[in-house]
Amino acid sequence: MDITSWRFPVFLLAALAAYVLLPQNRRWWALLAASLLFYACGGAAAMAYLGVTAAATYIGALLLQRLNDRRAAMDQEARRASRRAHDRKRHLTAGAVCCVCFGMLFAVKYWDSTASALGLRPLGLVVPVGISFYIFQSVGYVLDVSRGKIRAQRDPAKYLLFVSFFPQMVQGPIDSFGHLSPQLLSGRKPDADELRDGIQLMMWGFFKKLVIAGRAATVVDAVYSDAGAYPGSVIAFAVLMYTVELYCDFSGGIDIVRGAAGLFGIELAENFRRPIFALSLAEFWRRWHITLGEWMKNYVFYPLSLSGAFAALGRFSRKHLGGMAGRILPTSLATFIVYFIIGIWHGANLTFLAFGLYNGVIITSSILLAPLWSRLKKALRVREDSGAYKLFCMARTSAVVFVGRYLTRAPWLKMSLIMLWRTVFDFHRRRLIPGILALGMSWTDLVVVGLGCAAVLTVEALQERGVRIRKTLASKGALVQWLFIFIPLTVILLFGALGGGGSEFIYGRI
Amino acid sequence: MNSKKWLAAFFGTALALALLIPVLNVLVDPFGVFGDVLFHWDSYSETLNPRVGKLEYLDRHYEEYDSYILGCSSTSSFPVEELNEYMDAKFYNLFVYGADMLDTEDMTRYILRNYTVKNILLNVYIDNGAIYDDPGIDNLTGAMHYAADGSSKLGFYGKYLLLGPRWSLDKVERYFQNRLFADAFDVFDVTSGTYDKRQRDVEYIGDLPEYESRPAYAEFADYPTYTVRLTKTGPAMESLRRIVAMCEDAGVHLTVVCGPVNAGYMEGIPREEAAEFYRALAEVTPFWDFSISSISLEPRYFYDLTHFRNCVGVMAEARMFGDESVYIPEDFGVYVTPENVESLIERNDRLLGTEPDRSDYTCQVPILLYHDVTPDGSVGVSAGQLEDHLRALRDAGYTAVTFDELQAYVYQGAELPEKSVVITFDDGYSSNYQYAFPLLEKYGMKATIFVIGASVGHETYKDTGLAMTPHFGTAEMAEMSDSGVVSIQSHTYDMHQWGPYETGPDIRDGVKRFPGESEAAFVEALQADFAKSRGEIEAVTGKTVDVLAYPGGVYDDLSQWALSECGVRVTLSTRHGVNTLIRGLPQCLFGMYRIYADGYAGGDELVAAIDGLLAQNAE
Repeated sequence: MDITSWRFPVFLLAALAAYVLLPQNRRWWALLAASLLFYACGGAAAMAYLGVTAAATYIGALLLQRLNDRRAAMDQEARRASRRAHDRKRHLTAGAVCCVCFGMLFAVKYWDSTASALGLRPLGLVVPVGISFYIFQSVGYVLDVSRGKIRAQRDPAKYLLFVSFFPQMVQGPIDSFGHLSPQLLSGRKPDADELRDGIQLMMWGFFKKLVIAGRAATVVDAVYSDAGAYPGSVIAFAVLMYTVELYCDFSGGIDIVRGAAGLFGIELAENFRRPIFALSLAEFWRRWHITLGEWMKNYVFYPLSLSGAFAALGRFSRKHLGGMAGRILPTSLATFIVYFIIGIWHGANLTFLAFGLYNGVIITSSILLAPLWSRLKKALRVREDSGAYKLFCMARTSAVVFVGRYLTRAPWLKMSLIMLWRTVFDFHRRRLIPGILALGMSWTDLVVVGLGCAAVLTVEALQERGVRIRKTLASKGALVQWLFIFIPLTVILLFGALGGGGSEFIYGRI
Repeated sequence: MNSKKWLAAFFGTALALALLIPVLNVLVDPFGVFGDVLFHWDSYSETLNPRVGKLEYLDRHYEEYDSYILGCSSTSSFPVEELNEYMDAKFYNLFVYGADMLDTEDMTRYILRNYTVKNILLNVYIDNGAIYDDPGIDNLTGAMHYAADGSSKLGFYGKYLLLGPRWSLDKVERYFQNRLFADAFDVFDVTSGTYDKRQRDVEYIGDLPEYESRPAYAEFADYPTYTVRLTKTGPAMESLRRIVAMCEDAGVHLTVVCGPVNAGYMEGIPREEAAEFYRALAEVTPFWDFSISSISLEPRYFYDLTHFRNCVGVMAEARMFGDESVYIPEDFGVYVTPENVESLIERNDRLLGTEPDRSDYTCQVPILLYHDVTPDGSVGVSAGQLEDHLRALRDAGYTAVTFDELQAYVYQGAELPEKSVVITFDDGYSSNYQYAFPLLEKYGMKATIFVIGASVGHETYKDTGLAMTPHFGTAEMAEMSDSGVVSIQSHTYDMHQWGPYETGPDIRDGVKRFPGESEAAFVEALQADFAKSRGEIEAVTGKTVDVLAYPGGVYDDLSQWALSECGVRVTLSTRHGVNTLIRGLPQCLFGMYRIYADGYAGGDELVAAIDGLLAQNAE
């Protein structure tokens, strides 16, 4: 089910009604039923992938829990003696679960491109909605159980709800069991404040996703499908629109699902924290797709950094390289690997690999160059807390992110490079506006996207300064509050690209 | 406002807005299913969904028609005007794009049940063997009218009632962008039902490389070139069988045609499947086959890979009704029955691999452009120079032909002398009469003089009293025309304005629009100007005026269309070059190229330049 179709709010209201009407200890049934119904719309195959993931992680976690429980029951002596054997069993079990889950993910998402590169037979499987998200979330759960951070869920139905909670199904956020599951099962009735907040967040999400992203997409699709045909200025505009589209579509979608979950009194993890205000690329990634970053930190970065191999590398580099470089080499390598994986996570394509490399190289080298940079700042007497310097850093980060976007959308790497080349050497400023208009974006679209971006930037700047928008709004008079209902609703209805709303002309088909 | 009140306000507002959407959809009515009371814009709704839009239109206007053309989008190129004459009928072209045979069957059943029908012309395009019961893009734009396919009435009105508001907003926005010519959002000519091709059918068509490289027809530029498998021939022919039976039962005269197919498109269809298609079709009904012929081999007879031009439709209709006044290639059009279908298949297969012999239907014609003729050549060409030009042309074997002869070549397929040249003089100066006329007579050459109506017989610029080069008067005009040596044609009445002498507020750039002039006002002004020019010339010469040289050579599609609407069949620009004439393609006579002949000092130089251009342009 598309969360931007009219069916979604209706579905949501029905689920909410069922939720509220059930007795408190049964309310989670409503959530589970709604989640399964929501995912069943994706077809039987989609259900099967979800079922396999849930089963594998459920069983794996129970096995790990038994291992941990058995060890906990030992006395100290026996515990010490069995540590290695225990860890091995633990790693084997967790590794087996990871193999099943990531193996399935690989088969569905990456096999075809790998096969075509190796000349093997593609499987042609349809990638079900949200598969990466629930696999990451469930594997995180298994690893948490393995580490003894949480206890495994014995009730399969309750566990299934954690894997399949419907608002998250489309695009995350990837939450942790410890944070999410208790909320899902609490059966707490949402109060009027929560309902209002949820609806407001959803409206904000719809505005970003439908009004801004939906319009920006028109140019993006056209240019990326045949970038060689456009002058650099139009390409640069399209990449800018892609950056806007990506942020507004993803963060808007997350706002919609966080708002939807909020209607049930459930708070999902935050996924974006105004990345435009990041002062460095590393900070950008801490503000963008936060839950994926957290997941990577917890389950890739730390285990890697703390592993025996990395400890050995650290000893080696400190001894042979010495100084700063020697100290930070292992961390840099781990960072690099994380971004590399993030790149691949986005898609099975050379461009995403390049994207991972690009981010990994920049962040690693900025760590390595940090001492040099701070000496330079000292020499130039730059004050780090000055507004101008912060603005410079934001612009610098935005530029780096902007260039990175050239890599992620083009169908192949060479195309990305051609687009970059044309932007620099073949700009043609005068062809910008006619080019945009010819691509199907009208003046109205340009104005709407421009005003929409201005609204988003204003709200985020206020939030960045600590203004709590919704609270401020709630303190205003009734008319103002009503206007903030009426205007957003009207704008979304009139200017939003509502499911199948735009009239496209198909003249020319026989 | 506390949060409970906020929630009440939210749901109240949302409900009110949600209720407004159906109201908006009924009032603006983008698909034209609620009567379109505000806009009355049938072409728009027909473009969005022709299956629905056209039937809605016909429900209101069926009394104006008694015959229908059915089929997919290429069917649009069967013009109704000619058919109406041939069959003494009132045709409506009920084609819809993407039509498969089931669509056609549904529509046939609907019109037979609800309207009075005398004739049906059904175009069975080769693609009908590839798609059947195709759902279309989505159920809004691709759906059939509920009354034709028997689907739910409630579902039909429900979906158009609950449309997203964008559909209506788009319509309002486009209403203000609408131009006289077809836009992507209103492509139909409402009364005939065909595509509005006013603009496309006045576009200049010349040599092949230029045609193929042109970015025109952008809608079709990325037409997929894939293999077309005719896997649906079986169900399509079953459907056709039902159509034939329905027509027989209703006593309707049904003509089945198989429309022209571009050879490039045919390449993508397996030969054996195509053969099976023809056999199955002949089994169901005899039909006129136009699919493969020498026409198929020439790209310029097509708008794109899958759509033949209107002028080809004219030829097909002329063939069916035995009209010999129209040019038709010999191999175009065969009446097919089960007896001769095998020989047709064999002939088509043989034809497809071949290259067309373009000398059969194209030729190159240079047109020379002169203005003033002076004794010393101080302005334009000197009399001696002109004589040298004429002598050299004669010696090189050139025959001077008239625009009537060019038209006869294009429209009727008449022959032209091997080395033809057209001689033209613009403006109508007295010197043309004094020097050029006797020389033309002496060398046995014909020429055309384009006179500016407002300047005929004048030595001063209109009513300003300011002196200008003298122009000959009506007596000279009559004498030259009567001699048969010179044809007098139009250079407009008063759209050849000279800025410095003009007294009015606006000065036209040739025949083009003033800034801010509406399309309708401009068309009216141009047509009135030409009518005046033609009226005065015809009154003097008694001969038809249907050729116009654009002042300054400037024009646009709108002016070209406006003039062809009033019967102008040839227009001349001042672009440098020779012209490719194509039999059966009237557009090759629009915006013709000319050679500034007074720029060549001697006749031999001129002949060498012409020969050079012809060699360069040879097909």
